[in-house]
Amino acid sequence: MPRDNPGTTPLLSLRGIGKSYGPVVAVRDVDLDIFPGEVVALCGDNGAGKSSLIKVISGAEDATAGTMHLRGEPVSFASPHDALERGVATIYQDLALAPRLSIAQNVFMGSELTKPVLLPFLRILDKKKMIAESQRYLAQLSAAVTDMTRPVERLSGGQRQAVAISRALRWNAEIIIMDEPTAALGVKESALVLDLIRKLKADGRTVILISHNMRDVVALADRVVIMGAGRKYVDQPLGSLQADDIAHMIMAGNARAA
Amino acid sequence: MEASRLRDLIGHYGTAFAGLLLIGFFLLFAPNFASTMNIINVLKDTSFLAILALGFTLAFVVAELDLSVAEIASLAAVVCGWLVQQQYPPAAAVAAALAVGVALGSLNGFGVTVLRIPSLIMTLGTAAIAKGLAFMITQGVAFVGRWPTGFTGLARGYSFGIPNLVLWMAGATLFAYGLVKWTKTGAHMTATGEADEAARLAGIATARMKRIGLLLAGVMSAIMAVLLAANLSSAAPNMAGDYLLYAIAAVLLGMTMFDPGKPNIPGTVFAALVLKVLGNGLVLLGAPYYVQDIVLGAIIIGSVAFSASAMKKAAFKV
Repeated sequence: MPRDNPGTTPLLSLRGIGKSYGPVVAVRDVDLDIFPGEVVALCGDNGAGKSSLIKVISGAEDATAGTMHLRGEPVSFASPHDALERGVATIYQDLALAPRLSIAQNVFMGSELTKPVLLPFLRILDKKKMIAESQRYLAQLSAAVTDMTRPVERLSGGQRQAVAISRALRWNAEIIIMDEPTAALGVKESALVLDLIRKLKADGRTVILISHNMRDVVALADRVVIMGAGRKYVDQPLGSLQADDIAHMIMAGNARAA
Repeated sequence: MEASRLRDLIGHYGTAFAGLLLIGFFLLFAPNFASTMNIINVLKDTSFLAILALGFTLAFVVAELDLSVAEIASLAAVVCGWLVQQQYPPAAAVAAALAVGVALGSLNGFGVTVLRIPSLIMTLGTAAIAKGLAFMITQGVAFVGRWPTGFTGLARGYSFGIPNLVLWMAGATLFAYGLVKWTKTGAHMTATGEADEAARLAGIATARMKRIGLLLAGVMSAIMAVLLAANLSSAAPNMAGDYLLYAIAAVLLGMTMFDPGKPNIPGTVFAALVLKVLGNGLVLLGAPYYVQDIVLGAIIIGSVAFSASAMKKAAFKV
């Protein structure tokens, strides 16, 4: 498949990826290259295999066939956390935040900062630093929240996305996978999340966006990948594609699958 | 803005303030309540409950319910008392009691995380086993004797002019508070209890955190058991049984203050004090003994209702 940028090597490269659940084949023989700094929209109807493919990339599940290379090295992720440590972060649909804990506690969940006290081997949580750093990440995303001790449940949907993304930034994730980031949000909050994604892109990060919302795709994506019946059948630059064109391609894929 | 601040203030400190008022009321109106002797007795009495309830709290922090704390304490007390009675050195008796706490706390952790038994069921089973073992060891009678002061002094002695029991309570409180609030393990336990799926995705070893919470509940039970046996110079197979309901009440009442809706260390300890003051004050005012149970039940129900209304949803699920 022709590329816009044949000179660069892919950040993440999938070859022949397949995923079966017993006799059910969810993903078959998918080749996909993700290049640094691009926003790739992954589209397809329900059951097209997007989620299964994402589970493989995010470390939630193992592929049953094929290979994956990250920065040219072969990889397989043992868990989502393992993927995160190697710079691949997934922002889940249900956000995976603890609603009653503070913003700072959520951003640093599982990777809290500590500082030594009294004895060299005795380390306590460095709350001040975690608050300051969280503030920095959220400011980077221009999220209008200042009190990092506020529980996440008191934030709006868009602000929660910003907190979830901040956790990815804390790991300095290069690839950020976003699963239907605007699905549960109103118009204004959606606009906020689209801005967050633009900021990530401007920051040089790579985004894989799974979305049913064609307007979001047209607004953000550099490249559109469409799946149907477990296969990838469209992979092209967004170019002059309109929302309707993509919707038609998805439906054409369904027709072909059926 | 001002109104919401006030609401926050009441939400955080309302019941704690009510507790202070209650203490003030007894100081003024209950005969002899304010005597030094009585206050020291209330504080000593509080320490058993507080230590047991702290263990319950640590299990509750990881969202597990430990209904075996009181029976683990009874068994640990009996094992400890038996060894003291046999003239083993106090240190050996204490170590054996702690071993009981570690073993049964670990058993709970194993059942909940490996066998995937809900803690409500697992700990009820452990409680029954502990109770049976305690009766088996004692054959149903209490160990009573003239025990060495090296042992009884753990509870009855004074250090720096302060009753040792109160110091043990302070130590247990500081340990639990420091663990939950200052350490990485504590942060991981809190995250596990608040949202275990989110914690797991963030790379936290949630099963391990649950095992730690239940283990510590067992250890706190054993510490309480040693102090209880040392204070009474005796150990009976049902000696801590009555503490379970009080411990639950302390934790739930504690969840209405300081950090509302969440199990929290200062809340548990202050609530334990309030419960003991209430019991003592009612007795001094001449209320019949059964009034205490009725009040206790009302506090348990009222606390959970308070937390639920503060959060506008069920306080927790078990």
